[in-house]
Amino acid sequence: MTDSDTAPGAGEGSRSFDDLLGDCVHCGFCLPTCPTYVLWGEEMDSPRGRIHLMGQMREDDVLSEAAAGHFDNCLGCLACVSSCPSGVAYDALIESTRATVEQEHRRPAGERLLRAAVFALFPYRRRLELMRGPLKAYQASGLNRLVRRTGVLERISPSLATMERIAPPLTGAVPALPEVVPARGRRRAVVGMLTGCVQGAFFPQVNTATARVLASEGCDVVIPREQGCCGALSAHTGRAAEAAGFARATAAAFADAGVDAVVVNSAGCGGTMKHYGRVLEEAGAAPEEVRRAEELSARVVDLSEYLVQLGPRAPRHPLPVRAAYHDACHLSHGQGVTSQPRELLRAIPELEVADLPNPEICCGSAGVYNLLRPQAAGDLGERKSEDVRSTGAELLVAGNPGCSLQIASAMDRAGEPISVAHTAQVLDASIRGLDPAVLLTR
Amino acid sequence: MTQDETITTPLAEELGAGGAQVREGTPGDAVGGRVPRYVARPPDTAAAQALLAAAHRRGLATVVRGNGTASDWGAPPRRCDLVLETAALTGIEHAAGDLVVRVGAGTPLADLQAELAASGQRLTLDPLVAGGTVGGAVATGLSGPRRLLHGPLRDLIIGMTAVRADGVAASSGGRVVKNVAGYDLGKLHTGALGTLGLITSVTFRLHPLPEALRTVSAGAPNPETAQRWTHAVLGSGAVPAAVELDWPETGPLTLRVLLEGAEGGIDARARAVAELMEGSGISEGAPAQWGALPGAAGDTLLKAAVPIGQVAEAARLLHEAAQDQGTTAAVAGSAGAGVLLAALPASAGAASVNGVVRRVRAAVEGGVTVARPAPALADAELDLWGEVPGLELMRAVKLRFDPRGLLAPGRGPGGI
Amino acid sequence: MFDEGEGEPRMPQPLTALIPRLREICGDDGVITDRTRRRTYESDGLTYHASTPGVVVLPTTTDQVAAVVRLCADAGVPFVPRGAGTGLSAGALPHSEGVLIVTSRMRRILEIDVANERAVVQPGVANLEVTRAAAPHGYYYAPDPSSQQVCSVGGNIAENSGGAHCLKYGFTVNHVLGLEIVTPQGEVVRLGGKAADAPGYDLLGAFVGSEGTLGIATEITVRLLRAPQKVRTLLAAFETMDAGGAAVSAIISAGVLPAAVEMMDALSIEAAEAAVACDYPPGAGAVLIVELDGPAADVDAQFERATRLCRESGAFEVRTADDAAERARIWKGRKSAFAAVGRISPAYIVQDGVVPRTALPDVLRRIAELSAASGIRVANVFHAGDGNLHPLVLFDDAEPGASERAAEVSGRILDLCIEHGGSITGEHGVGVDKACQMPEMFSPADLETMDLFRSAFDPAGIANPEKLLPTPRLCGERPGVRKGVHPLVAEGAAEQF
Repeated sequence: MTDSDTAPGAGEGSRSFDDLLGDCVHCGFCLPTCPTYVLWGEEMDSPRGRIHLMGQMREDDVLSEAAAGHFDNCLGCLACVSSCPSGVAYDALIESTRATVEQEHRRPAGERLLRAAVFALFPYRRRLELMRGPLKAYQASGLNRLVRRTGVLERISPSLATMERIAPPLTGAVPALPEVVPARGRRRAVVGMLTGCVQGAFFPQVNTATARVLASEGCDVVIPREQGCCGALSAHTGRAAEAAGFARATAAAFADAGVDAVVVNSAGCGGTMKHYGRVLEEAGAAPEEVRRAEELSARVVDLSEYLVQLGPRAPRHPLPVRAAYHDACHLSHGQGVTSQPRELLRAIPELEVADLPNPEICCGSAGVYNLLRPQAAGDLGERKSEDVRSTGAELLVAGNPGCSLQIASAMDRAGEPISVAHTAQVLDASIRGLDPAVLLTR
Repeated sequence: MTQDETITTPLAEELGAGGAQVREGTPGDAVGGRVPRYVARPPDTAAAQALLAAAHRRGLATVVRGNGTASDWGAPPRRCDLVLETAALTGIEHAAGDLVVRVGAGTPLADLQAELAASGQRLTLDPLVAGGTVGGAVATGLSGPRRLLHGPLRDLIIGMTAVRADGVAASSGGRVVKNVAGYDLGKLHTGALGTLGLITSVTFRLHPLPEALRTVSAGAPNPETAQRWTHAVLGSGAVPAAVELDWPETGPLTLRVLLEGAEGGIDARARAVAELMEGSGISEGAPAQWGALPGAAGDTLLKAAVPIGQVAEAARLLHEAAQDQGTTAAVAGSAGAGVLLAALPASAGAASVNGVVRRVRAAVEGGVTVARPAPALADAELDLWGEVPGLELMRAVKLRFDPRGLLAPGRGPGGI
Repeated sequence: MFDEGEGEPRMPQPLTALIPRLREICGDDGVITDRTRRRTYESDGLTYHASTPGVVVLPTTTDQVAAVVRLCADAGVPFVPRGAGTGLSAGALPHSEGVLIVTSRMRRILEIDVANERAVVQPGVANLEVTRAAAPHGYYYAPDPSSQQVCSVGGNIAENSGGAHCLKYGFTVNHVLGLEIVTPQGEVVRLGGKAADAPGYDLLGAFVGSEGTLGIATEITVRLLRAPQKVRTLLAAFETMDAGGAAVSAIISAGVLPAAVEMMDALSIEAAEAAVACDYPPGAGAVLIVELDGPAADVDAQFERATRLCRESGAFEVRTADDAAERARIWKGRKSAFAAVGRISPAYIVQDGVVPRTALPDVLRRIAELSAASGIRVANVFHAGDGNLHPLVLFDDAEPGASERAAEVSGRILDLCIEHGGSITGEHGVGVDKACQMPEMFSPADLETMDLFRSAFDPAGIANPEKLLPTPRLCGERPGVRKGVHPLVAEGAAEQF
């Protein structure tokens, strides 16, 4: 299903942290692909430097204030994993290090509150849904006081405003998907589908499109009701126990769904779900539980990956649009999925697909990074939006909601708004023969 | 005066103690009008070291001479007590399989090329002055037309042995093309006109003789057209070995493009180049007088090294400035590399020469220098160098390699 | 004033006095004093050598570099320049009581001047970025060290970097036309520019490859070349290294000048297969990669010849590539070879030596003998066209004595290079790593003369000290070496004019 031989981080399971650290030969090939190194040009904010800091942490048995800050600065985009010729499992190293930081490092009070607020909000779709609508509506809403007190709302307001712009008009409750969407025509497969937290709350239309495309291609789509956040946001931030909790719940939700594959349309979620074993191990789960989680991981697949493997059946209708495809880090670096979305898009008649310059550099979204490190995230967003502008595209396509949001938001700020769409939405529009104007709503 | 009267051993004997043949200087040995007291010819590097050490002890100003074909290049030395002839420092060690040759500085360039050609190889240096030695070519540092593709002379040097003013011989580089051990001192001696040391042997990287040569020539109505053609040819992917401009005092300007390569592909390449140059013709081989200096022996030669986008402007200005100074200029050189030489007739006085170089310097980037003053201008107030960026560092280098200022004093950059 | 960690050694005294000034010059975020952070700079690409820098500065302009260096010069404090930190000779090894000047924030491409075929860049620009910026105009920057996506142009200047294609196109020194440098006294000097043949001594030529001992290049003007009309690559598989070597000789003596000629032996092929599944012909004892580029007609004619010569020399399989994707497949194994060796050995030493090309077969046999006698495996990956060997000496660092034996084998390989009239380094540089081997290649007089040259730029000896040339502290006493100004000048006995 996935190219597991080259999947980043594969095979590191049984090796110790120190052993994994030892793989780094300090060659520096990761530097130019690291977003924070690109921004600041400092060794400590490069993967090589952070690995050195991890080494110092082990050697001196001390986690210094300075080192913790540099670990926090890491977006976790995993571009370094793609560029590393020695196969260093930076993904495993940073996740483990983040967990150590969470356990051992006491952040300043303000930052602790902010993090608590973010994680009280984001992984929960119901709470996120409450925030939909104009600003005043969610300020008056029943959000807990913590969220309001820390100013997290002010931080996320620009993002929320963009979300509101991109999301379809709120004319009622978020439309719920049925538990099963039956295949059109002859059934070729039965697949599960992750609806996710942010995706589900703010981009329900992406989920709808995903389900429709899968059904059009002959899949019964099973969407378990009891699923929630997959745990990616927590895992990427070192909240090991919280992540493991979400992972357990998600694994349970799909365990007995009787599906051949679990299709994920959000890059960050897919990247984490493919490594549930590691997530549980980090939290000290029992081997049996880890094994079960790994069984689910083996069935997790990105939408584009799955569709290419399945092969197209539904006819594609022309979509005369100039689009640019953005590689979401957790799709390209995290899962090694770069050719499949392009292949799917290029198969759509009259759709022009441009590649962005500097495709390996993160857009700055990186889960909740844009909330925790708004300045760096904003700078990266600006760089990315310049690259997008250079292509002359009218539509930006990505396989991750956070990226779309981040880039659209940066382009808004620059006064050059752009339409964004998920790969699934573009495919959906083509299969249904919709007017391209439906995608070009900036 | 350089001699003290206390020496008991005759000076000539001391100079010859290491094995060098020493004789009295004659007017025929004069360098820039200075007749040396002695002329010495060391048979090998050891003798050369002893000779230079003795000259150093005695404070003799020493000028190195190969075949003397370029003795008039650069400023005349302020003093010349001893002429050191390299004629006996010969020898060719050709490692044909490695495309490398180590050669004694006194070896005539023609002898070297003949020996290399027998193995189907060459040192890719088009001599601008005929009859010279290897050491002379390196010391003057002049590169002919094919520098465009194969690099200037300095790029072909992979190792060198030179004797410092105090008689210490030092090598740098080596006998392999790829080598980054230590400072590349050979770069310093290349084009230093013998002011930093006596070059005794040089190791070069070689090239195979090309299978086929074609020359595409065309008359250009003006230098701007020639420059446009040059840009087009360089940008075409035809990979010319040389793009030479030739603009005599009067008459038409010619642009010649030399192509080297495999027999099977060369005609197609030549045709592609010809299409870029209106009215061009293709001929086999390299043209006669290839890379010859403009003008006549005894002319003042100027060198203008400019960005390739300013070649036309430099060539035009050389012509115009010469006319304004009541003289003429013949301009030739590599339009592709941006290195032009201009000959002003011997009749042009110092004021005219200075007028021309200053005007061109003011208008273009790069360096405009008097490479070879006419004999009559040897002691004239010539503005040979203009501003030399990095001159203080050059002085510092000279101070360490030749602390007493004995090697061709005054001939170095900025009159060092 | 600065946030030293608890219980950690303090910064050396003479430096602490400089910190406020350094902050004024480079800004607060351009000066790194905290020890944890400083330590991340302790090594470049050769981690065998490590030393925590006294202080690290990250200037953004030439003026800042000059001001920092002047401050060092006035205080007699050493400084070490560093680019991307990818060097393999510890040339950027920091000085524990000195200032590490890092150019990673000086990474603007200042100009792509197509009319003059030049690019002007700051020193921190990555090598490959120059080509990326020139590519839309149909040009490229020729030197292509294998770390080209990360190594900086400033670092390339210091090391005179080569690359796989330097057989035909030469090294960095052949492509640099102009430099703005900050001398060890803190003066800003321009050497050359967009024109060739700058008047006077070729200081530019000697500065390139000086490993940061003559100053810091702060602005660099390089030549851009027109991208070749055509590139064709062949991969030939041979049963033995000797047969592969014979093919190289045959190609070169036939007058074919390839852009690159690379060879790998069975062990390095095994490693590459393990790492990237490069799918080279099974059973190959040697593979040869030959790349030709240039005018289409010329390339085609020469390519046929090279292919034929490979077959005549015993190649049992020849694959050819005519487009970028096929070329990438051929190069995949070669480019991954160094890192790939990590997959077949826990530890390894990358050696860099040069022999005359004709000595290759003999030297390779001798290396095989050394390997057999010592029980230390050696994988050979090398630039066959110019005799530049990169033996990878494999060992298990967990095994007692193995690293010493590997170092011994590695050193013996260098001895072989010198015996055969070669060099101790073809592209990695001398740095600290090979400074003590310089006397094996150069006489005391050679070294003394080099030291004289160095002192012309750096009389105080503060620019990247203890690199490139052997010193008594590093290598033990050596007679007859003098430093600084010529004694005659010091005595006042010598005159300059």
